[in-house]
Amino acid sequence: MEVTMDPLFLAWSYFRRRKLQQCSDICTKILQDNPYDQAAWSLKTRALTEMVYIDEIEVDQEGIAEMMLDESSIAQVARPGTSLRLPGTCHGGGPTPAVRPMTQSGRPITGFVRPSTQSGRPGTMEQAIKTPRTASTARPVTASSGRFIRLGTASMLTNPEGPFINLSRLNLAKYSQKPNLSRTLFEYIFHHENDVKNALDLAAQATEHAQFKDWWWKVQLGKCYYRLGLYREAEKQFRSALNHQEMVDTYLYLAKVYQRMDQPITALSLFKQGLDHFPGEVTLLTGIARIHEEMNNISSATEYYKDVLKQDNTHVEAIACIGSNHFYTDQPEIALRFYRRLLQMGVYNCQLYNNLGLCCFYAQQYDMTLSSFERALALVANDEEQADVWYNIGHVAVGIGDLTLAYQCFKLTLAFNNDHAEAYNNLAVLELRKGHIEQSKAFLQTAASLAPHMYEPHFNLSILSEKLGDLQSSYSAAQKSEDAFPEHVDTQQLLKQLRQHFAVL
Amino acid sequence: MPEVKSIFREVLPKQGQLSMEDVPTMVLCKPKLLPLKSVTLEKLEKMQMEAQEAVKQQELAMKEQLQ
Repeated sequence: MEVTMDPLFLAWSYFRRRKLQQCSDICTKILQDNPYDQAAWSLKTRALTEMVYIDEIEVDQEGIAEMMLDESSIAQVARPGTSLRLPGTCHGGGPTPAVRPMTQSGRPITGFVRPSTQSGRPGTMEQAIKTPRTASTARPVTASSGRFIRLGTASMLTNPEGPFINLSRLNLAKYSQKPNLSRTLFEYIFHHENDVKNALDLAAQATEHAQFKDWWWKVQLGKCYYRLGLYREAEKQFRSALNHQEMVDTYLYLAKVYQRMDQPITALSLFKQGLDHFPGEVTLLTGIARIHEEMNNISSATEYYKDVLKQDNTHVEAIACIGSNHFYTDQPEIALRFYRRLLQMGVYNCQLYNNLGLCCFYAQQYDMTLSSFERALALVANDEEQADVWYNIGHVAVGIGDLTLAYQCFKLTLAFNNDHAEAYNNLAVLELRKGHIEQSKAFLQTAASLAPHMYEPHFNLSILSEKLGDLQSSYSAAQKSEDAFPEHVDTQQLLKQLRQHFAVL
Repeated sequence: MPEVKSIFREVLPKQGQLSMEDVPTMVLCKPKLLPLKSVTLEKLEKMQMEAQEAVKQQELAMKEQLQ
């Protein structure tokens, strides 16, 4: 006679070992035999939720609708140093665009990217549509709710016979009375089905049932309000939850609300308050560092990342950000040490090898450079990454003087990513060296239209037009260059020259 | 360190001096360090890709059914 494990226990064991599909299958079988088995139902719900669970603290992608139709701003123009949306107005704490590449919003590119890394506030609708916002594709997200609905449909694809729990027929009042089941049900509705309205209903009833004394339900209510865009209500719920029970997660959620309402200073003071209760907590320190980085305050950000490393010296984000800051402040050897540390920790992806290659080259360790880039090329996951790696190899080629190789590398960059503005610009410079003026001009115009936030194509176009005698376009290009990078001395000299010329006429 | 300090005198030749002009040269765009991705971001990307794959598979299956 065969002795088998109790199916529920086996399912539980699978759940613990994160073999979620098998767990879910066993639970389905149990439920087929006995549809009223609460334990199996609860376990299956949890397994399905775990399959699509993403840490809600990290997720913060803003859609176009949120950006363009934002009503939470109080003043038309924020005072400098108080807004996440006007980074240029803060006192510069780091290298200029002359040394460090900028993103669309005028912020320097960071060492680490998360789902919530903002791409900045586009001014017009056209800009908003052009900016890539999703993680992998360049297609913009229409509104966060839209993306979450798509994630919800994705999870429905895994159950082609129909959803496991039919929300429209669910009696939420009954479930809210049962604390054992209500929590798992809430997480299922919130994460797997992405049905915020029903989740909010359930959470409201459960909070009532718990006589408004349960901090967990208040936090969940806050999360629902956040998803729906009701930030003030979310703030109230989180604050109330903090009064009942101090939890690090609540601080993080509340800080997210403040950041979304564009109140970074409030978020900073909240983090400091959190650190009073939880001294040395890595997530709070990271939050402070991120806010400083978003406000372009690189020196403070580096300081806080170093504090993070004192507490947890395997923190990938801190290491990557400090490393990139050192690279762009002309200290590639130190940057190399930081990236080597990441390698020692076992991080193994294309970006790291690309960064190692660049640091090795600029730190004059030429033996490691090309092999790092070869590894990076072997590890690419998509076309954009490949384009970026070839772009950097092109830079190395320019550095060693092999302009043919550089030309080929930049061409390859464009082959993998047709919108790579930096490659167009550099190709234009190389073409000009060969004497192909028209080609150079065409490349520069393409680069300038693809990336109006970069000053290099505008500046180069300005110089080229001036040499050709087209002073009008030279002047307008120089003005655009000045808009992108006001402190650039060469642009100012050029503008002065042109103005003198026009004054004489 | 040498004991004798030599004073450097600037040498401006009166003959054959060329004029100096600061010609603005073209600037290259800077090398790009690629930002590392967080665990959440990778998981999100993976889920997005899988969802797209699943949709493609379903569309293929439906096409085959129709044919």
